[in-house]
Amino acid sequence: MTSACTRCRTVLEDGDLRCAICALPVPTVDARSDGPPRALILRCGECGAAIGFCPEARAPRCGFCGAVLSIEQPADPVEAARLRVPFAVDRAGAEAALRGWLGARGWLAPRALAGDAVLESLTPLAWAAWLVNAEARVAWTADSDAGAQRSAWAPHAGEASLAFRDIVVPASRGLREVEARLLIPYYDLTRVVPVDRDVEGEPVASGATPGTMPGAMPGAMPGAMIERFDAQRSAARRHVQERIEALARVRIESRIAGRRHRHVRVACLLERQTTERIALPAWILAYRYRGHPYRAIVHGQRAEVVFGRAPIDWGKVGWLVAFAAAAALAAVALWLALR
Amino acid sequence: MEPMAGSSVDLAVPGATLSCGACGAGLAVTGVRSVSCPYCASPNVVERPPDAGRPRPELVVAFSGDAGVARRQLERWLGSRTWFADARIRRARVEDLRGVYVPAYLYSAVAHTEYTASIGEQYTEVETRETTDADGRKRTETRTVTRTEYRPLSGRHVGYVTDVLVNASAGLGDPELAAIEPFEYLHLRRYAPALVAGWIAEEFARDPDVCRQACRAAAVDEVGLRLRRFMPGDGHSDLAWRTAVSWESVAPVLVPVWVLAVRYRDDRRPLRVVINGQTGAIAGKVPLAWWKVALVVLVAAGVAAAIAWLWHGGTP
Repeated sequence: MTSACTRCRTVLEDGDLRCAICALPVPTVDARSDGPPRALILRCGECGAAIGFCPEARAPRCGFCGAVLSIEQPADPVEAARLRVPFAVDRAGAEAALRGWLGARGWLAPRALAGDAVLESLTPLAWAAWLVNAEARVAWTADSDAGAQRSAWAPHAGEASLAFRDIVVPASRGLREVEARLLIPYYDLTRVVPVDRDVEGEPVASGATPGTMPGAMPGAMPGAMIERFDAQRSAARRHVQERIEALARVRIESRIAGRRHRHVRVACLLERQTTERIALPAWILAYRYRGHPYRAIVHGQRAEVVFGRAPIDWGKVGWLVAFAAAAALAAVALWLALR
Repeated sequence: MEPMAGSSVDLAVPGATLSCGACGAGLAVTGVRSVSCPYCASPNVVERPPDAGRPRPELVVAFSGDAGVARRQLERWLGSRTWFADARIRRARVEDLRGVYVPAYLYSAVAHTEYTASIGEQYTEVETRETTDADGRKRTETRTVTRTEYRPLSGRHVGYVTDVLVNASAGLGDPELAAIEPFEYLHLRRYAPALVAGWIAEEFARDPDVCRQACRAAAVDEVGLRLRRFMPGDGHSDLAWRTAVSWESVAPVLVPVWVLAVRYRDDRRPLRVVINGQTGAIAGKVPLAWWKVALVVLVAAGVAAAIAWLWHGGTP
């Protein structure tokens, strides 16, 4: 059974005390009781022991060491991905993409990088994200050159109703947010399937080492790992709000009169938000070059999307700095001579 | 006079409702064997039947960390007070620190705002002026000056105002609770008697309808802060706004506060230090020992007089 927040019509989920969007408390009578049972345990503040709790039968003291007990309950139920995007890049494709990327690191990279880099691990990871749909009433202000007088800018304000579909908000600890943002635009979300469904033709991530990613668990993809949601739903609100405001700012720019604009500011009233948990494919590569470890990431659907850290040949950097300094000195000497 | 926190009332029943005769706080206690008022350290607490008309808490921000952590924070804080602080608070026993679930209302609403403002847009102009130098020769100087053009702007702003906390306690003052905010509401829990067992929970002393006005005022202030960040341009002035709130929600909530109350005279307000039971933020107003201030002033005046006397060659 699903119910919605009466204020903003966002779909409420099991365990919600307040609406994730507008913070309206969920009435006790509407509290969802059809979800998985939630643990309520007493944790000893002194020795760490946890025992079952019955308020009528037990004193608030630890039965093991006599210290005062405190109640511990997870703030949110543990979340897991329900949908996934299948892998389209196999192991060999990911390795080839890495070699190609290492070979194209530019003049400052060591010449032998592509050949001498030793691949240490190649882990297929289905990283965790929220897939958000929402509607929003957006109020905005901005400066534009339309109607400008003495100044090159004139203030403008307006309102708009926007719909946001399939917004991907990272919930991963395995990937840094900046890495996730680089991957997100290249996912084909039309290929989403339930997380436990096999997909014909999907490459098998053979040779992967299960358990290499902290917090990961075996998933439907053979050999691949599906990351757990370490960021809990109660923390998702800020991420979703920030992401939608950033998107609204971009979309509003096309509605502002004039050719140039600046200081675009938006205020969003989110409504009817639905959130789905999704796992997105990526290959995490660890390689070593002359004893130092580096990491690169290959997109799980498009092998041409590769990024990461690569070594720099500091000898070349030194030569470049010396050449620049010599050129600067020569320019100064020439200028002094011509004065 | 030493603190009187050692005096207390022994409870014969596991759950009871008490009323403080000194500060008026209504206290619900379960699993606590002896009680003096945690807010004013008064032993003058009397048992009374529960008041059925009081709001029942819906949500709880639970204590994080145990009393030992709070006591160490309190010891550090007391140790960092100046020599001028009243020694009675510096000598206070940290064992008298009490954990109290303080009643409050958590307000949220939809805010629709209409605003008007003058938006400042900067532009530069080249100014030319004639000056006369020291030799009487006239020179033309040009300089670039930045000026601001003000343009009117009006519009609307929308948003949810959430997590506005308004005090509903009789024992703890509004400024004291505000001083240890904010609380972290990501870890809210639904109220259950088991959550507050072993702690003192104050009853709601203020009606939600009375607090709603304070909540609205806080919401309008919050909208004002947002509007200042919302304005375009290089600056703004004459910002005025009218906010209409709808879909208001006022949820009774218990928030965790460690309280150290030191009563040193029956006719004086108690000295009190409060600690946020979740974040550890600490606040308290420690009175100065005026005899120490007077002593220092007298010593300083004496030293100044002695220096002046020596300066004038030791003659009066």
